[in-house]
Amino acid sequence: MTNSGVRRGATALTLVGLVGMVALLWMSFFWVSTEVNQGIVQRIFYVHVPAAWTCFLAIGISALCSGVYLWLRDDRLDRAAMCAAEGGLVFATIVITTGPLWGKIAWGTYWTWEPRLTLTLLLWFIFVGYFMVRNATEDPEKGKRFAAVVAIVGALDIPFIHLSVIWFRSLHPQPVVAKPDGPTLPGDMLVTLLFGLLVFTVLFFGLFLFRYALEDVRLRAELRARRTA
Amino acid sequence: MIRYLDQIRAIVWKDLLLEIRSRERIAAMGAFAVLAGILFNFSIDTAIVRPQDVAAGLLWMTLVFGGLLGVGRTFHIEEQDNALLGILTSPVPKDAVFLAKVAANFVLLYAISLLVLGVFALFFRVSLDANVGWVILVLALGSLGFVALATLFAAMSAGTSMGETLLPILVFPLLVPMVVFGAGATGRLLGGRPFSEVDGNVRMLGAFAFAAVWIGAVLFRYVVED
Repeated sequence: MTNSGVRRGATALTLVGLVGMVALLWMSFFWVSTEVNQGIVQRIFYVHVPAAWTCFLAIGISALCSGVYLWLRDDRLDRAAMCAAEGGLVFATIVITTGPLWGKIAWGTYWTWEPRLTLTLLLWFIFVGYFMVRNATEDPEKGKRFAAVVAIVGALDIPFIHLSVIWFRSLHPQPVVAKPDGPTLPGDMLVTLLFGLLVFTVLFFGLFLFRYALEDVRLRAELRARRTA
Repeated sequence: MIRYLDQIRAIVWKDLLLEIRSRERIAAMGAFAVLAGILFNFSIDTAIVRPQDVAAGLLWMTLVFGGLLGVGRTFHIEEQDNALLGILTSPVPKDAVFLAKVAANFVLLYAISLLVLGVFALFFRVSLDANVGWVILVLALGSLGFVALATLFAAMSAGTSMGETLLPILVFPLLVPMVVFGAGATGRLLGGRPFSEVDGNVRMLGAFAFAAVWIGAVLFRYVVED
């Protein structure tokens, strides 16, 4: 796909995502019914859960592109892995910001070692490591390879981390706290949540394509500058 | 296959011989472990917590930090005269180089972990009567998982401008399973609880260790290729 094609796709997806975001906010503030036990604060979940889904999608895409990059050495794959990781970092930041905000009211504390929240925090650090190692090499090719290895090992370690943080909780006395959600979600809440997942996914891919196109332009500008120098 | 094992053995022997002669890393790690035990002792208010209760956690933290100190310098001595290039351009497969480095580091770290266990038993009055065999096994699996990840990322951080400062940032988030399963099992075993209670922890620790060795062996070639 040409750069302008990518940008057209990015614009379309981002616009759809932004319109959807407005609709999602309207739904979660005005349309969906208030959860009985937790009250108004539960509404943050329609942002929190989709953001969490998106950042795990991002590490998946990043690891997949990284794996194929190490095999084929196509720079476009590395760029895609990097853009996905950047999106993942942003959405992971949303998760670890909205989680404690909700936790303060629902659990009475900003931070608890809730398995999924812990996992997201660690994922956030894996993304940070990805960018640190990428930028800490003199040879950019080396940085790409290193970052790819970090993404792959990080993605493969996630099941272990997930199991272990659940395990850790089971070894400790469980605090008596409200569970995030019941086994069955009432219809309108489920609709809002699913709509949220869709909107965040579309927005993620929109931003992902924008970032990809931007990186493409940046590389070309760099190449041109080098040629004229 | 025999040739492969011979190649691994040659590199392991070279590394261990260097270590036996210079005693650089083992001395640093050993001194660190004992000194950390001393500092931990002064950081605990024994009127509030019993040292035995926190010993397992501190033991694993000592292993992680001490291990990072030693394993982080795996490639240091070979970088000085570009000796690493010699090994990498030799006909030895890259994964054999990795497995050899892991094996040599494992011997070092495992020796240190046994030392730490002894020191902590002495300093924190931890009883080793009941489950010492199982604790030694848990430490072996933990050390193996740790050195596999740390060796891979030590090779990586050695190639960056940030050097060893980058290593903990890359490795710590990935080490969470090892600490959870390892410290959990060690704490219970040292507390005199039966092995059946930590059976799952030990299995997970083993799975983590072997997954780490395997993924390291697969990806090492991409870290050192130039």
